[in-house]
Amino acid sequence: MPEIAARRHSNTYHRQIDLIAEMSQEFATSRDLGEALQRGLKRVAAFVEAEAASLFLIDEQSGELVCRACVGPVDIKGLRLAAGHGVVGRVVRQNAVAVLKDARHDPDFGALVDRHSGLTTRSILCAPLSVRDQRLGAIELINKAGNGVFRPGDRQLLRALGASAALAICNARLTKAMVDQERVRRELELAADIQRSMLPGRMPESFPVAGLNRPAHEVSGDFFDILRLPDGRIAFAVGDVSGKGINASLLMVKATSLFRCLVKTHRQPGRLLGAINRELCEAAAPGGMFVTMAAGLLDPRIGSVVLANAGHEPSILHRDGTFTAFAADAPPLGIAGELVSEAMPERRVDLAGGALYLFTDGLTETRRGEAMVGADGVCELISRFAGLPCERRLHTIIDELAPAGSSLRDDLTLLVAEDRRSKPLLAEHFEVCPERLSEMRHKVDAAARTAGCAAELAKDVVLAVDEACQNIFRHAYRGKGEVVLELRRDGERVEVGLVDFAPPSDISRIRPRPLGELRPGGLGTHFIRSVMDEVSYSPLPDGAGNLLIMRKVIR
Amino acid sequence: MSVILKVSDRGGTAVVALQGEIDLQNSPELRKELLGSLADRHNLVVDLARVDYIDSSGVASLIEALQTARRLGLRLSLAAASAAVMRVLKLARLDEVFTIHPSVEEAVDRGG
Repeated sequence: MPEIAARRHSNTYHRQIDLIAEMSQEFATSRDLGEALQRGLKRVAAFVEAEAASLFLIDEQSGELVCRACVGPVDIKGLRLAAGHGVVGRVVRQNAVAVLKDARHDPDFGALVDRHSGLTTRSILCAPLSVRDQRLGAIELINKAGNGVFRPGDRQLLRALGASAALAICNARLTKAMVDQERVRRELELAADIQRSMLPGRMPESFPVAGLNRPAHEVSGDFFDILRLPDGRIAFAVGDVSGKGINASLLMVKATSLFRCLVKTHRQPGRLLGAINRELCEAAAPGGMFVTMAAGLLDPRIGSVVLANAGHEPSILHRDGTFTAFAADAPPLGIAGELVSEAMPERRVDLAGGALYLFTDGLTETRRGEAMVGADGVCELISRFAGLPCERRLHTIIDELAPAGSSLRDDLTLLVAEDRRSKPLLAEHFEVCPERLSEMRHKVDAAARTAGCAAELAKDVVLAVDEACQNIFRHAYRGKGEVVLELRRDGERVEVGLVDFAPPSDISRIRPRPLGELRPGGLGTHFIRSVMDEVSYSPLPDGAGNLLIMRKVIR
Repeated sequence: MSVILKVSDRGGTAVVALQGEIDLQNSPELRKELLGSLADRHNLVVDLARVDYIDSSGVASLIEALQTARRLGLRLSLAAASAAVMRVLKLARLDEVFTIHPSVEEAVDRGG
């Protein structure tokens, strides 16, 4: 007899090992863990001859134990037990197997499962599901067949299966977290793509405004934009949204869109920032987020920028080796809609051959060892790389601040607006009046010759300038008045710019008189158009005056 | 410096010799001189030999004098225009309107 018992025992032992191996394998490789657990539970119940079995997992949010798989006369999947309730609760709490001969004598037995399952519980075998200290739940077997009692072998089997199921559950959760993380990463990449697409594309080399943004993370809270207006001026802006991360980048997208949309109707930076401010305040961002922004309009024909700055880093003009900073003269956008008047203050900055830099605090707050780079450090870099073409210069400055591969603390954005006109050979402020025309003609003649005009060509240029000054004297000021005259060589051409400060004049409407008609007057405009290749009249923005540009190819 | 260098009577024809640059500053003086000579019933020769610049206001004075001469039945011609002055007259197509002689002598011989 003992021999038979021993053989039977050995046989059972081998079957147990096989079951554990098989089910561990199935848990580990299953695509649907819930299904695998359900099948596993059924096989264990059959193997140890239990009347019913259930698997409870801790709900991470509520801490309750929820039945995720069950075997028995009634399906109790979804049944929730309060944290720590009953025998299952105790097993989880103590992280130890419980074997009960008769549950009715156990103080923790709550008969809740009985009420739902329609069973009368007598014996219980319950093993924890845990990986090291991480408790996931428990497996419970009820009523060993034939009013029996669960044996030590049953206990070992359930413990082993519990451990392997717990490991599988843990792995599945990790995998899900990784998949979620990967999904978020892909979505951030898409967001970054969208954001990058909102930055202006590459400009041609000759374009006088360029910008560069290097985000610290996938998405940026900085932005810049550059936009050529139909009247030839170039609108640009640099902004920084308070805070970092996805919420900052969403507000950044809103601010960029507002800029791009409103700049088409508000062609004055001060009014533009005022309008963006009102829009941002109307639907204020949560958490007191705000936007700092500097916006400018460059008139490349006269190398002049109108600039407005709402709470942003000072803009810096680099000209003839010196730096001038223009600090913010209005609060950031999105804070107070009513405190700020319709238009924010603006100022005119004459580049006069220099370059205006706009940037975010990511640059000044970059750390070099212990200290921050600061505005002085930015100026030093601008000065050091001033000789490079503008796009290269921006890249080099940013590379210098944040060498490739280094991790950024903050987004870096840098924009430059340059006066691309060549240095004038003549730049004169003078009063137009008949007495001063002769002196002016001799200066224009000398400058035109310096520009490479032969004597005859120089005389034509002199005639055109003289006639233009007469028009200003007669029709714009109707008397004496200030003009600014500049003559420069622009490639193969000589270019004369003449600015007056009279109210927008009708000079552009003065038509050359029909030549067949013999009468004095009206010849001046005809002379100008005859001797020059290109003549364009245009009012300066905001009624500041009038600009005449005349060009002639030098043969 | 006056734009009028010399006014001389050459057998009943007034020769008005101009000099320098004729522009908005001095064209009123030129206009006055030319209209004054015409008022005295003289045929006119405008000697441009020493003129190295003329603008639209100077040209306008010449046109006004020519119109006045025609109205009065007098003659007005230009003489010895430099290349620079000819360039401006041609720009205004006035080379076809004015009688332009190579020299003052030729102009006087033809009676202004």
